[in-house]
Amino acid sequence: MKFSLSWLQEYLPIEMTTEELAEGLTMAGLEVDSVTDRYAYLDSVLTGKIVEIKPHPNAEKLKVCLVDTGDEKRTIVCGAPNAELGMITACALPGTVFPNGAVLEKGFIRNQESSGMLCSKSELGIGLDAAGIISLPPDTIVGQKLAGALGISDMVFEVDLTPNRPDCLGIIGIAREIAAIQGSRLQYPDIESFCPGQSIAKYTSVEIQNPDLCPRYSAGLLLDVSVGPSPFWLQDRLLSIGLRPINNLVDVTNFVMMETGQPLHAFDFDMLSEKRIVVRAAEKGEIFTTLDNKERSLLPGMLLICDAEKPIALAGVMGGMNSEISEKTINVLIESACFNPGSIRKTSKTLGLNTDASFRFERGVDPGGTVRALKRAALLMKGVAGGRIVDGVVDENPIPASESVIQLSMRTTNRLLGMHFDQETIAAHLSSIDFSVNTINEDSLEVTVPSFRVDVSRHEDLVEEIARLSGYNNIPTTFPLIPADTKPLPKRLTIKDQIKSQFVGYGFTEVINYSFAKRSAADQLRLKSDDPGRSVMEILNPLSEDQAVMRTSLIPGLLETAYRNVSHQIKNLKLFETGKVFFNTRGKSFQPQEVEQLSCLWTGKRVESSWYGNDSDCDFFDLKGAAEGLFHSLRLEKIRFTALPLEKCSYLKPGHSAEIYIEGEPVGTIGEVHHEVLSNYNLKQAVYTMELNLDLLIPRIPEIRKYKSLPKYPSVSRDITIIVDRGIEAQSVMDALEKIDEKILEKTKLFDVYAGGKLPSGKKSLSLRLTYRSTEKTLEDDFVNDIHRQISSVLIRTFNATLP
Amino acid sequence: MENTIEQIRENALTEIENASSADELKALSVKYVGRKGHITLFLRNISSLPEEHRPSAGKAANVTRQLVEARIKEMIQQIEDAEAISSGSIDVSLPGRLAKQGSLHPVSRINQQISDIFKRLGFDIAEGPEVETDYYNFEALNFPKNHPARDMQDTFFVSDDIVLRTHTSPLQIRIMEKERPPIRVIMPGRVYRCDSDLTHTPMFHQVEGLVVDKNIGFSDLKGVLTTLVHQIFDEEISLRFRPSFFPFTEPSAEVDILCVICRGKGCRVCSQTGWLEVLGSGMVHPAVFENVNYDTSQYSGFAFGMGVERIAMLKYGIDDLRKFFENDYRFLRQF
Ligand SMILES: [Zn+2]
Repeated sequence: MKFSLSWLQEYLPIEMTTEELAEGLTMAGLEVDSVTDRYAYLDSVLTGKIVEIKPHPNAEKLKVCLVDTGDEKRTIVCGAPNAELGMITACALPGTVFPNGAVLEKGFIRNQESSGMLCSKSELGIGLDAAGIISLPPDTIVGQKLAGALGISDMVFEVDLTPNRPDCLGIIGIAREIAAIQGSRLQYPDIESFCPGQSIAKYTSVEIQNPDLCPRYSAGLLLDVSVGPSPFWLQDRLLSIGLRPINNLVDVTNFVMMETGQPLHAFDFDMLSEKRIVVRAAEKGEIFTTLDNKERSLLPGMLLICDAEKPIALAGVMGGMNSEISEKTINVLIESACFNPGSIRKTSKTLGLNTDASFRFERGVDPGGTVRALKRAALLMKGVAGGRIVDGVVDENPIPASESVIQLSMRTTNRLLGMHFDQETIAAHLSSIDFSVNTINEDSLEVTVPSFRVDVSRHEDLVEEIARLSGYNNIPTTFPLIPADTKPLPKRLTIKDQIKSQFVGYGFTEVINYSFAKRSAADQLRLKSDDPGRSVMEILNPLSEDQAVMRTSLIPGLLETAYRNVSHQIKNLKLFETGKVFFNTRGKSFQPQEVEQLSCLWTGKRVESSWYGNDSDCDFFDLKGAAEGLFHSLRLEKIRFTALPLEKCSYLKPGHSAEIYIEGEPVGTIGEVHHEVLSNYNLKQAVYTMELNLDLLIPRIPEIRKYKSLPKYPSVSRDITIIVDRGIEAQSVMDALEKIDEKILEKTKLFDVYAGGKLPSGKKSLSLRLTYRSTEKTLEDDFVNDIHRQISSVLIRTFNATLP
Repeated sequence: MENTIEQIRENALTEIENASSADELKALSVKYVGRKGHITLFLRNISSLPEEHRPSAGKAANVTRQLVEARIKEMIQQIEDAEAISSGSIDVSLPGRLAKQGSLHPVSRINQQISDIFKRLGFDIAEGPEVETDYYNFEALNFPKNHPARDMQDTFFVSDDIVLRTHTSPLQIRIMEKERPPIRVIMPGRVYRCDSDLTHTPMFHQVEGLVVDKNIGFSDLKGVLTTLVHQIFDEEISLRFRPSFFPFTEPSAEVDILCVICRGKGCRVCSQTGWLEVLGSGMVHPAVFENVNYDTSQYSGFAFGMGVERIAMLKYGIDDLRKFFENDYRFLRQF
């Protein structure tokens, strides 16, 4: 919402400086976005005296003037017929930007140098006179700014209004707030001269078929008008806030809308069939051409203003071509109505048609203000377009707005604010913005809300009015008295924080990618047709194709991140991300299944080359080590990594990837990314990733850590190396050892794996260190040797192994 | 006795001073305090002295032995220390063997900082769904259908009834549906708005807060937010509360803080105003309480919300919002 200081001053004297005014409005809840000097462009227009004048050598109608602008004398070519020697006029210097957008440049006009321009009022946007250059009184000081010489200055304020304050979508509404801030009185426009009566009933009528969509419709009639351009003052008011003048009648409707917040529409009365208005909802298949010459297909229920046979306006949004004010208009019907905000909003949204009128109607106009705005417009139109006003108004009001009366409790108000207001202070604040207040008893006030405050309906709304008028910053700062009992923090949050710091400790850097994905992400990951990752939630209004669906995996985001960084020559990356993925399990009318994931990516070097060693590439076991470290620190047990079966390898490379199980339940995958997937993401180096489902993993983390007392007796260790088939997983050997029920076998550790060399092909050797310890005594060598031999022979039997 | 103990001591000390290697010193140790060393022999022969001289001579010999032993040990250490340096000391200026740490995303950092502040104030922390129903995201928060207040938040739709949550506020409803006052909780999380330009990303992070109890007033809201701002930034950063509008609070307030860059003098970041808008807040709207069956005559409360990226930008001096989600390693590694 824009307004100019000079326009504002029509309704009350402003006692504050521009800065104070802006600050005052902002702190009252009307946030001032910007304050600009409307005539800043006149800064380079000076008063100048023509001290020499001669004909242009190459053009008959032009003159070459020497103009004294105080500091220097400029040669300026001028075509104005009224330019004469000794005249003091307006001289624009090169660089001036005119209201029409043109920039004045120093140059040559018909080979004659010209370093400025002598201007008319019209050219400078300060009047309509375009016939000749401005002629200033002879005693005007030469070389001063024109704006100063003419005494013109104005500031334009732009207020960022919240949707609850449609009353301030008219300048009078803003003036009312300022009056409350200043403690001064508001001067409403005079409409006393509008003649009451009933004559209008002889000319026209209004029929409202859908009162729920149009609770009030007021109309007035003006006969024998002359349509033409508006006088300067009216054009200037509209221009000051960025509106384009059209003709005197339309300009008045816009002016009054900006003044009162009530949108108006003017119809060419003679275009109305049977000269009457019918307000009704559109029927199926209706088509209507709006003022902007666009044909609109209407949906049933959209509200229309019609005459006896056809629609003439899209109610509250835009008028129609068929009843538009034109130069030929003689008689005009003025509409000032109140429409259902939701209905107008729906129509405007559906048609994608936002107008100053719809903006106001959908926020709610003053149901008590239609007639006042109508009279104001009729009187102004008569002033600028002549004609005569038909006595009286049509005012159909099938659903009168109920007056809102609120019982206001002092105690509750003070409790909600933490203040100690007395009744008088509260009454004074509310009265200052036209609320009427009656004292009921010591605690209660009866407050009647003015009709223009459609946003105020409850006790708390009044509390806000009191708070903002007395100043939020005058409310004390206190602390809530909160009981000391608290609950433990949710496990998932503390665990997530722990996992994050763990991975940071392992050298991984956290990334946050958008939760969106492209539709093709599933293909890029080579997901099978029945992969749950293909059940995506689609967004109806995505910003781009890259963000068309909700992600079902964090992997694409990590691969894209890797690609972007690799293209910046950062090729060694350890990344992790935690976040939700979304599965469309029940259709788009239901919330998706949201799953919290942890994913990480490792690519490039495990260690970079340095003075103490050569570089080496990372591999599967680097990432697996990080996973194992995490599981260990979370005290998760019964973890298994099993080769990912071929049919489950989508984005991972078969034979180089694993599924991770905790207590027999799959919780994630880990492995090398498939080369096709790498090329889908333009990656040329090996990449390892892991995905973990935190929703499955977190509940398995034990709450309690139990201490085991330290051993009293020393341990003894024995090594064994067995040669087995290459296909035998080390894990199965460890499992077999686990199964052997031997009390003194405390720990087994695989410390070497070897293949090739002297070993037969298809064979590999596994070296294990077994640690033995008794809880009761120091073990004797013979005893240990005996048991170690038995265990060795079990292994040899089970795995058909040989000794080296 | 050929030599007095004084003479032995003098000779020993002189030789020790003149020794130039650990080996020489070890030989001197043998020579004087070894099994057949001068001092040892002197002690062994003490019985040949006249009876009345024996105690003093013994004492003097023992003192001498300790002195000589100590001096030799000291000299050996000096020589060995000097040798440790001269015979190839390490270049301590070489870089250490790498134990490279990763880094947390700045959003996580600020989130943790904010959580820590509220944990100390006894708040709970809650999370909730990112894809919400219209009811929780709007309706229950007093955004009626077809109301312009919905324009305040550009919404991503999945269907008529399902949206990407535009704020963390739906959690207020979910929490109050489940629990009775007193309530004090913060709700960090991702939110989505259909908007992308220099100052907007389609996804960002918010932290929401909610306090409900008997006798909670606007002044308490001011207190908690003042504490929050002072702890995130510092105590010099003053707050300014401005009337505003959110459908789910009444009265509502925007909270400006003194510009942390220019400290109120006016700069580019604060558009020369000296103030930065960082928080939205207000007293919980009675319509919201009615939607969760809280008795408004008994309970009141306040809610607030802030953008995490905004705080991170101010705190770390990040000048481009989009950097948060580009995940440029060179950016991330700075936190
Ligand atoms: Zn600043």
